[in-house]
Amino acid sequence: MGLIEIQSKEKFSDLTSVKDKLIALYFHTPWASPCIQMNKVISTLADSPQNKHIDFLSINADNFPEISDLFDISAVPYFVLVKNGTILKELSGADPKEFASALEQLGGNEQEIETNQADSSVSKEKSSSVFDYVSSATNNQDAAPAAVALEEESPEQLKARLRKLTTAAPIMLFMKGTPSAPQCGFSRQLVAILREHQVRFGFFDILKDDTVRQGLKKFSDWPTYPQLYVGGNFQGGLDIIKESLSENEHFFETALVEANNTN
Amino acid sequence: MSSVLNSDQLVKTIKTRLQANEVEVQDMSGGCGQAFAVIIVSDIFKGKNKLTRHRMVNNALSEEISQIHAFTQKVFTTDEWEEQKRLYGSS
Repeated sequence: MGLIEIQSKEKFSDLTSVKDKLIALYFHTPWASPCIQMNKVISTLADSPQNKHIDFLSINADNFPEISDLFDISAVPYFVLVKNGTILKELSGADPKEFASALEQLGGNEQEIETNQADSSVSKEKSSSVFDYVSSATNNQDAAPAAVALEEESPEQLKARLRKLTTAAPIMLFMKGTPSAPQCGFSRQLVAILREHQVRFGFFDILKDDTVRQGLKKFSDWPTYPQLYVGGNFQGGLDIIKESLSENEHFFETALVEANNTN
Repeated sequence: MSSVLNSDQLVKTIKTRLQANEVEVQDMSGGCGQAFAVIIVSDIFKGKNKLTRHRMVNNALSEEISQIHAFTQKVFTTDEWEEQKRLYGSS
């Protein structure tokens, strides 16, 4: 059926009062980078013949604050699956697989998941260079795994989001820019070190989300970027990593093992 | 209200706040006071791991760090510093 972009509240009321149909509501904003990726994913899912029994509505949260409030949307991208006026499921964040499987579960139909790169990359073992876990999940170098918050995000919500981010991959690098386009010398150096040691890592570009940029400084109790997390535990910045490596060339492996043992 | 740090000020600040015996501060930004590399030798670091030590420095210099663009630190106890000098020769 295709993704329908909501242009008016009346249209929204009309479309959501349809009976006995699974309706997928997709809340987005033009400025949140995970949404840009998700837009493509949602369109693809909406156009897929497998999903023709599902209505896909796209709502720009900035333009329709009342609709967003109705569903208590606190971060984008956000999905609400409704049927007959009842909310069946809500999903926060940019995880195409999670969304697709929720559609499958609730839509009651078999379907292919279009996000091939996400599937194959997540399970494949790559022995050579870096596997940018986070970027592959949304098919783009600049993506982040979790949602970008709208306006009020309570400290608890932010903390929960940071916990999710810092454990998005066994090794998570919070940097300025992306591994392919670092925006700061120290971030560039740390990426180089990770690649040199053939370490698989996920990354988050803190220049893209100021809430995370400031929040993570408090969360980690660390004032600068880049920041490296292993197994959800903060390891330090470039200096510490370099020093740790000079004392123990297997620093990354040791840190991973330690994290697995304590988690 | 200048937010430009200079090396001498920084040395004094570090010596006071971290009870450092030796401090080396290098302005890597060519005199702009925007990027500093520091070496701090102090026994307040004894028995503390890297992360804790760096955090002590970060906390002691939090205002200064927030004003500059780049900050890199090496921290040693007096014994460790002697060891460094022995291994690598004095500067």
